[in-house]
Amino acid sequence: MHSSLPPIAEIWVYLSGSPLLALILTLTAYQVGMLTYEKSGRNPLANPVAIAVLIVAMAITAIDMPYPKYFEGAQFVHFLLGTATVSLAVPIYKGFNALSGRMLPLLAALLGGGVTSVASSVFLARLLGADPAIVGGFYAKSVTAPIAMGVAERIGTSPTLTAVFAVSTGILGAVLGRFVFDIVGVREWWQRGFAIGVAAHGIGTSRAFSVHPEAGAYASLAMGLHGVLGALLIPVFVSWFS
Amino acid sequence: MISGLVQILLFQGLGELLSKFAVPLVPGPVIGLIGLLGYLLAKRSIGASLELVAAAFSQHLGLLFVPAAVGVVVFLPQLRAQALAVVVALVVSVLLTMAVTALILKALAGSGKDAQ
Repeated sequence: MHSSLPPIAEIWVYLSGSPLLALILTLTAYQVGMLTYEKSGRNPLANPVAIAVLIVAMAITAIDMPYPKYFEGAQFVHFLLGTATVSLAVPIYKGFNALSGRMLPLLAALLGGGVTSVASSVFLARLLGADPAIVGGFYAKSVTAPIAMGVAERIGTSPTLTAVFAVSTGILGAVLGRFVFDIVGVREWWQRGFAIGVAAHGIGTSRAFSVHPEAGAYASLAMGLHGVLGALLIPVFVSWFS
Repeated sequence: MISGLVQILLFQGLGELLSKFAVPLVPGPVIGLIGLLGYLLAKRSIGASLELVAAAFSQHLGLLFVPAAVGVVVFLPQLRAQALAVVVALVVSVLLTMAVTALILKALAGSGKDAQ
């Protein structure tokens, strides 16, 4: 009866050759992240993406799966980033009425925030002696990851490193946002939402949606606008800098 | 659900094509986003199906970042060697960006209300 089952090694070889393993790993890790986040009472410190990345990174290190191999399977999830970017048109469209009334403050804040993000990170990284290859990853880090990776390719830096910085930025923004806004005394949900969307794109937006719907709507508006503006302006900015 | 997904994929495809052959400076999904936005503005309504798909994406956007972010394992040695610069740049920059954006909004929104 036991002999009807193939040896465990054979099952393993089959599984690790198919995209299934990477997909199961990614989705399960995210599920664990979401459950932890919910269980913690949506504590910003229990960020679901951070937990998922940690679990997957430890798992592929433990089973000796090289990153490109993991990505081969996980690319099906990754591919949807582009689709999700296009779908941002919907929250932007919904926010458009608000935009026409608050056009000036929103666009000024977007420009101010975008420039602050690039200038402060690149300046600090250089000041503290980071390699040019590492510094390059900072240019697009406040732009939503799919767009940031596209921008990285165009400005000749590593898309993976840019994605890592973009996601770290998103997590940091989601975790620290509440404290920053309380300290600077900004209480309006739309202002808090928009600011977290400019600074911390998708992950900040997920956080904003889980706190307040108005904050979420403005965060996705900010993320979408920053993505479009960043894709157009960051390459220009980089050519000035270097 | 399906018709919303079809609309998004069509605009994504159109964006990728335009990015490849006409405007290489702008990533395909951004062109797709602008296209879909233009379509919605012209139509003046969002279909229920499109709304459903967009809501699903924005709720679980975080999941889609996981594969790219796991790439951190590749850069671990480099990042460890320059940990201080990387951590300071990331943390200070995101704090400053949020503070500056929020403060600009607060300042300008306040003055806007006074003017009305």
